[in-house]
Amino acid sequence: MSTIIYGIITSVILALYAVGFSLTYGISGLANFAHGALYILAGYISWNLMNYLGLPFLASAPLAVVACALVGFIIYWGLLLRVRGIPLSELVVTFAAGVAILELLTWRGFYGISYSLPVFVEGGVEIWGVAVDAQRLLVIAVGVALVVLLYLFVHYTKIGLAFRGMAQNERTALSVGIESDWIGALSLALGSALAGLAAVVVLPLGMMESSVGYEVLIYALAVAIVGGLESTPGMVVASFVIGFGQRITASYIGPKWMIIVPLAAIVLVLAVRPSGLFGKFKELEERV
Amino acid sequence: MLQVRNLLVFFENALAINDVSLEVSQGELVAVLGSNSAGKTTLMNTVSGLLLDIQKKEQRRGGERITIMGRVEYEGREIIQQKPSLRVKQGIVLCQERHPVFRDSDVLENLRIAGYLYTRREVKEGIEKVFAIFPVLRRLRKRRAGLLSGGEQQMLAAGIALMARPRLLLMDEPLLGLSPLLQAELAASIKEICRQGITTLVTEQFARPIMPIIDRGYVMENGRLVFSGNREELMDNPEVKSAYLGV
Ligand SMILES: Nc1ncnc2c1ncn2[C@@H]1O[C@H](COP(=O)(O)OP(=O)(O)O)[C@@H](O)[C@H]1O
Ligand SMILES: [Mg+2]
Repeated sequence: MSTIIYGIITSVILALYAVGFSLTYGISGLANFAHGALYILAGYISWNLMNYLGLPFLASAPLAVVACALVGFIIYWGLLLRVRGIPLSELVVTFAAGVAILELLTWRGFYGISYSLPVFVEGGVEIWGVAVDAQRLLVIAVGVALVVLLYLFVHYTKIGLAFRGMAQNERTALSVGIESDWIGALSLALGSALAGLAAVVVLPLGMMESSVGYEVLIYALAVAIVGGLESTPGMVVASFVIGFGQRITASYIGPKWMIIVPLAAIVLVLAVRPSGLFGKFKELEERV
Repeated sequence: MLQVRNLLVFFENALAINDVSLEVSQGELVAVLGSNSAGKTTLMNTVSGLLLDIQKKEQRRGGERITIMGRVEYEGREIIQQKPSLRVKQGIVLCQERHPVFRDSDVLENLRIAGYLYTRREVKEGIEKVFAIFPVLRRLRKRRAGLLSGGEQQMLAAGIALMARPRLLLMDEPLLGLSPLLQAELAASIKEICRQGITTLVTEQFARPIMPIIDRGYVMENGRLVFSGNREELMDNPEVKSAYLGV
């Protein structure tokens, strides 16, 4: 029973790690390798706002999310614009930005046990005999709420519809007045904000240090690759496959093998079905 | 309304548009006829600004070098350096060839995406106008665009362009690949669009289906305009007859 409940929690956490990464990729074809760094940056900003400005976590967390959005936007306009459309350069630029952020945090001494974020909600409950703390339930609630909100956002707001248009057919979108770089920058800002959001709800569960940034990136990549880049249902299913894979590994083989699961999943999927479980052969489609 | 003067477009060193000058006046329905790879799409993309965007992306990638020279004036203003979105805001809207629609969205969402520049109210009105011109789309409004037939997709593509509120509508081979019946139907719709005050420049490979609706036309060969005249003059021209009317 506990494997199931914690499997669900782990899976939702993975989905939160990945959602921003997948969204940006789905809209703009941009793989943001600074995703993990933005995640940990949100924790850092939030922590500093609390400990130096004395803000409550409820105020510092949304501010950190907004800050992430801004950083994402700046990465796009400041760095990516020049190399937009060259996937390898985009990868190098975003990865470099990510490493720069992480190294900056390490240099500022952002590692070790002294840093952690408080939980939003105290206490816990028992579900079918398994004790679950309230923060983990909050994570699930946020995950579910996010799915609903994102759905409403992309289908019913102007920017969301422009995202959908740009994701499906850039030239047609251009022909009706949608600007690709503006939408690209917004998509990276949104993806980065989602990295920040994941951080402020998931980080209170554990320690914060800059190396977590790399881990989050690997998880986001694993989910995106297994689910098929740009496929939303794929992302959810992949989170659950990897999440349960990890829980089962932890229970039957040992917790220290958990990190193998996403890596093995990446290798396996790339070898067997490179477009992912739900991916379309988009490139092939575009070539014809 | 639109004046193109001495336009030259190169892809690397290949000349795709060779010294083209043409004019479209307010309210006209003008055709550019030309066989495959005559340069019709390049002309449309130059006027809509899409080519500028393609050029920018190629440049960033270090890909193909695209050179655009000459003048493109819209309502007396030079627009050749304006980006596509700015041109759309001024009323120049392109309906691309091969009816590219938003395939994963349903018909209604396609039209809502295309109303990007306008308010919710205006989008609603726009959708009603599109449905009035293409009643089939109203019936299919919940259908995913990727599942529509070629003709339906072409109507949707025209609807998408209409949502952007064109004053100068550029239609690149709208009748391509449709059955004669559908061609006639769509041509009538294009005429109706023009009658509602939208100046239209349309390209076609085959003159027959488009001939009944146009005011004037140009003939394009290998990037050059080789003939220009009103409908009667086009119909009487022996070369046009043999090459584009299949007589
Ligand atoms: N992106 C491109 N790169 C190189 N050559 C191109 C490109 N687009 C068009 N051309 C060339 O320009 C000429 C005109 O093409 P196009 O405008 O597509 O003609 P049409 O629409 O009349 O069929 C053709 O010779 C074509 O090969
Ligand atoms: Mg063409």
